[in-house]
Amino acid sequence: MKKIVVFALVLLLSLSMGFAAGAKDQAPKVEVDLMNASWDEIVEAAKAEGEVTFYTWYFPDYFREAANDFQEKYGIKVNLIVGDQTANFNKAISEKDMARGTIDAMIVGGQWVKTTMDLDLFWGPIKNLIPEADMLAPSLWEVQEGVLTKGYLAPFHRNQTGILYDPQRVPNPPQTWKELEAWIDANPKKFGFNDPSKGGSGQSFVHTLIKETTGGLEKYVGDTEVDPAKVANWNLAWDWAYSRKDKLTFTVSNNDSIIRLNDGEIAMTFGWDDNVKDMMNKGNLFSRARMYIPTMGAAGGGDTMGVLKNSPRKAAAVLFIAHITSPEQQLKKYQMLGAYPARTDIEITDSLLTEEDRANNALAWFPAPYKDYMISEFVKNVLMR
Amino acid sequence: MKRQTVPIPLHLIQKRRQKRFYLGLTAFFVIVQLLWVGIPIFMAVMWSLVNPNDSWSYPNILPPSFSLDQWDYVFKYTNIGRALRTSYTVAPLAVILSFLLSLPTSYILGRKNVPGKKIFMLVVLLPMIMPGMVVALFLSRVFSILGLSQTFFGLVVAHTLMSMPYMIRVMTTSFAAIPQDVIDAAENLGATTYVKIKDIFLPMIRPGLLAGMIFAFTTSIEEFNLTFIIGTPTFETIPTILYSFMGYNFIRTNASVVSLLMMTPNIVMLFLVERFLKSDYLSASLGKM
Repeated sequence: MKKIVVFALVLLLSLSMGFAAGAKDQAPKVEVDLMNASWDEIVEAAKAEGEVTFYTWYFPDYFREAANDFQEKYGIKVNLIVGDQTANFNKAISEKDMARGTIDAMIVGGQWVKTTMDLDLFWGPIKNLIPEADMLAPSLWEVQEGVLTKGYLAPFHRNQTGILYDPQRVPNPPQTWKELEAWIDANPKKFGFNDPSKGGSGQSFVHTLIKETTGGLEKYVGDTEVDPAKVANWNLAWDWAYSRKDKLTFTVSNNDSIIRLNDGEIAMTFGWDDNVKDMMNKGNLFSRARMYIPTMGAAGGGDTMGVLKNSPRKAAAVLFIAHITSPEQQLKKYQMLGAYPARTDIEITDSLLTEEDRANNALAWFPAPYKDYMISEFVKNVLMR
Repeated sequence: MKRQTVPIPLHLIQKRRQKRFYLGLTAFFVIVQLLWVGIPIFMAVMWSLVNPNDSWSYPNILPPSFSLDQWDYVFKYTNIGRALRTSYTVAPLAVILSFLLSLPTSYILGRKNVPGKKIFMLVVLLPMIMPGMVVALFLSRVFSILGLSQTFFGLVVAHTLMSMPYMIRVMTTSFAAIPQDVIDAAENLGATTYVKIKDIFLPMIRPGLLAGMIFAFTTSIEEFNLTFIIGTPTFETIPTILYSFMGYNFIRTNASVVSLLMMTPNIVMLFLVERFLKSDYLSASLGKM
């Protein structure tokens, strides 16, 4: 027993010392004013930094390939961490006050964009640093899901919500609100959407519900805080959902809605196109599933990438973001995953959603304060009631 | 010739009834185990073998075709190899460290009457009650100040801290269960402190110690929050990979592969520990073997 304990302690100490030495950050200090540097100087600075740490929570296949391509092209190693969305942001926020963080760049989803922008987590603006920045979705450079991002977050891809359905069980999917309402009444529990506090596709459904039951979305444009007069009639939306509570299926996440469709529990749901395609690619959703944006509209947006303020390798982070947004990588991502590119100069064929739907029926989110209010009020007046 | 029926003795009837009762109980246990353990494992195996080109969906009861593509995906595109190495290096060290650190505390709490003992017992359990991410966020600051973030030693310490409440709780109960008579007898026969530890305390707490080790080991293997905050990007463990396929981005096929990878060594370890548990010194000392 004594021998085992002594052996274990010696092993622990030696391993700790070994690993600690390995973990020591030996990145050289690069003294370049990145904001005023030329692109060649940024590339040189990135090469001198030698590595970059990037956090995401999806598409490990694409990001692994992109990291390998990046290393091959620039000789810069990518520490790719595919974590959990909430944990990624909790980690970034917990390191906010550290002079030197451990994350260089990360994917930013709509769920967290307001919190992270409010906390001033990102370095930038990086729009002027990225080559061909104008080729990336212009609106996403400025606003992400109703939050002003002012060029701090680079578009990664554009995603869009819509109605996802099983064509064997829904031969004539609804286009208008009245048609959807009639379908739900005729097929209790067969239409589902996620709790809006747990994912964007559920938020998009509630967003359309508000549009259709309270008089459109135009009145909210430009507001920076919730105007009580404009939300006074939102009870109409809550009453609509509450009166159909026993006919609707509430799911717990974007993917849960897709899983329940695949399992046959529901026949129709709201979903994100990139999510749907990823689930199909991995055998988690039947390939006969179809998706469209109804004429009543559904919100869309996109995910972005940001460089952390306390990143120790900002040049490499900017270079990696430029690499991800390059035409080759954006095309590769689309070919691998079917996720709609952020670049506007790539010709897209065989997309899950038609270009016609995107042009005519995609809605922009109302400003972020209304979205936050919508989520809390829906939970209070429908789910908790 | 008419056969005479001999009445069955009452004790035999009772014995048969008892046998039927125990058989019923065993059948119930087996069914419950199959439902609660067997079905989830079966489903995980099935989902891990789903062919990505031929999805498993309604109304198919089983996947229409099988492939190893999901396993290939996890090994090709995630850092599962390094995660497995880190997890199975950290966990045994965390178990040993938590045993050594818990030993004096458990002894005092189990055998001595110290003031505030009950409050202390509750305090020890607090890390188990508080949400993992909350503990992780607070502790990460302390680890950062002490220079333990992003170090292997820091990771072992973090896992030790998370394992210790289980170890202390189980070992305290084991220490408390040792009969004072046995210790008194040993002392009367001139046993030194070393002999008492070697021949009485350690053998008698062994079942508790092994149970504590199982808890500590599985806690370490499953620990996510603190590892993610203070360990990544330098270190990744199995749950840091698993969580990317769970929760917000739940993908059943990939999550099943990682779950099975995480579960299999634990099951082997449980069987090994079960073998050790068979020699129950404590029960023997109480004349129950």
